[in-house]
This record gives sequence, structure tokens and C-alpha cells, in this order.
Amino acid sequence: MKLIFLKLFGIVILTVIANVARAELKWEQTSVDLHPAIGDKQAVAHFKYENVGKTPVHFTSVHASCGCTTAQTQADQVAPGEKGEITATFNIGGRTGMQVKTVNVQTDEPDPAQANVVLTLKADIAQLLQIQPAFVYWQIGEEPKPKIIVAKANKDAGIKKLDVASATPDFTAKVGAGSSPGEFRISVQPRDTSKPVYTTLTIKSDSPAGTGNVFVASARVLPAPVTSSANTPASLPTVRRNVATPAAKGSSPSQ
Amino acid sequence: MQQAVFLIALAFVPAIGEAIYFRNKVSWQSPVPASQIVSVTQARSMGENVMWVDARSSDEFGQSHIPGAISLNEDDWNELLPQFLGQWSPDKRVIVYCSAKTCNAAGEVARRLREDAGLQDVFVLDGGWEAWQQAKK
Repeated sequence: MKLIFLKLFGIVILTVIANVARAELKWEQTSVDLHPAIGDKQAVAHFKYENVGKTPVHFTSVHASCGCTTAQTQADQVAPGEKGEITATFNIGGRTGMQVKTVNVQTDEPDPAQANVVLTLKADIAQLLQIQPAFVYWQIGEEPKPKIIVAKANKDAGIKKLDVASATPDFTAKVGAGSSPGEFRISVQPRDTSKPVYTTLTIKSDSPAGTGNVFVASARVLPAPVTSSANTPASLPTVRRNVATPAAKGSSPSQ
Repeated sequence: MQQAVFLIALAFVPAIGEAIYFRNKVSWQSPVPASQIVSVTQARSMGENVMWVDARSSDEFGQSHIPGAISLNEDDWNELLPQFLGQWSPDKRVIVYCSAKTCNAAGEVARRLREDAGLQDVFVLDGGWEAWQQAKK
């Protein structure tokens, strides 16, 4: 019995040693934290590696988790002792907040744990201006009281002034000071709620950041509710009919 | 008996090590709560009471999409959101989809529609575009 135990113990130890010995592509880091500046269009991460083994390593697949991220290798083959990097470029687009993107790398290394590596790019995207809510609406026939959109400027952005313009003359928008420094209250009001109308509000700041200075919000007088006889699955919450519109205190339509 | 327990305990050592090393690669983690996910079957049972939102890239949307879907992705959020809100109706549920089960774009778009635009009844299609395609077969 003791002999069997010793053999099994030996197999476990040898397996661990064999896995360690096969490790060839050594990554300097597999996770990179980025803090792009306000207005940056891209965030770029460099994942450096070195082939510390005795045989060449080939990349068989390098695939980003999202269409917004591209990943490039310097070469398909990494010779023993050679160093290199995979460059992951994340296109920020209209994204905000913490973004986590991954790049799945596969090589021809015999150890599956070494052959499949996940590289993680974390980008904390600062927002120049936070607009809440980005949409206000009125039901048709509702009293055309003003509704408030609150715009909070990033404290590092140095925004002193906002200009808001409606794309159509159906709505008016006025900017006032908010309850704290860097906060603005945009009062939006339809001229008339007797017919469905819609506008895009263009919000421009005087931020010296330059790029990304224009933001949008939307305002709308909704058409009359449509009645429908379609089935409603019991397992899902019921769609609210004649939804109450937001109160005039910067609330969202959901309130 | 003691030896068997020892061997099992020994096997746990590399297992725990792998669990720590690959903690960010756990496949069953989903950022979208289950209550906000609908299946293709559930979505179809809603009939006309659905607004489809395609969170994939504009190129993918251009190639093919669910009939009637509106393109809304985070690449062009500021341009596409007003277009979507111009067509939104509180009478309809919004179902967002992206490509493949692992894609989190639909979850992000759904979250922003709820939090930024304040919409209710926003769901994510389980399995995304691929599940829709599969269900057509």
C-alpha cells in the first residue's frame, strides 16, 4: 500500500515539475491599467513577453474579446531568448467609466495552461461631462412644464460655461447653475405638447480639453400610446402603459 | 484511508493555484443579472411589443441584423443614441443583442439605456445574434 502511495505521490510531483519545465513564453504582465486623458480616442496597452525556453514558440491565434479592440503581434514566431510584445489598441468611441477588454492569445506550447493566455486591458475613461438624464419626454397633451437635465463637469476639466441648443424650435433650453461647483441645470421645455415632436440638444462646453467638447441629450413629446394585444410572458415584468413622465427636478424618465 | 485523504488534499493544491491564477477567466460570470436576460423564445413571444437594438459594430449591423433592429453601439454612442430615442416607445420592451454569448457590449448598452437615458424594460438577448441565427434554422 505504501508503495502505491509513493508511486502516486511521485506521479503528482513529476507532473508539476514537467509543467514548470515546459514553460517557455514568459509574460512581463498579463494585465495593464490605463488612464487615458479626457478626449483621447484610443488607449494602447503593451504586453511584453520573452521566450525563456529552448524551442521557438509560435502564436496560433491572437483574438480580442471586442470589436473595439485590436491586437497585433510583432512576429508570428518567437525564437528562444527573443523578446517582444503584443500591442492592444482599444478604440474608446463613446465609452465611459471602467472598461475591461481582453485579448486571448494561443501558442503552440505543449502545456495548455501556457498555450492559452488571457491579456487584460483595463481603461478608466474619465468623462468630461456627465449628463443625467440624457433623455426627457412628455406625453402628448401633458402640461408643457420644464424638465431638468443635470450636467456635472469633471473637476479637472475646468468647465465654466455650457451652451445648449435645440435642433428644432419645438423646444427651448436654458442653462443655470447647479447645486455645486461644476454642476449645471439645463431646463428643457416643449413649446407645445399637442403633437409629437423630437429634438436633439447639443451641449457645448468651454473646456480647454479641446476634443470631445460636444455632448447630446434628447427631448421628445411622445405620440399617443399604442394598444396591443400581443402576449406578455408571465416571467417578465409588465410593460408600463402611459408611463409617468419625469418630474421637473432632474429625474430620469424611469422615475 | 489517511493516504487517500492526503492525496485528495494534495490534488487541491494545484487546483486552488489555477483558480487563483485564472480568476479573471471564469466562464460562468455574467455582468448582466438573470432578470434582465431574455431568451429568443421569450423575445419572439412578445410579438410586436419589442424594439430590437443591435449593439454590434456598424459594419456588422450593415451586413445583417434582426429585422427592424436599430443600430446602437458604444463606438458611435453620441450619434446613434439620439436616433434611437427618436424612435423609442414606452409601450415596447427594448431587447439589446450583440455577437456571441461572451460579448458584453449588449450588457453595457442596456445598462446605459437604463442609467443614462432612464429607460425601463431594457433586456439583453441570451446568446446574442448567434442564438437568433440558430433559432431560425
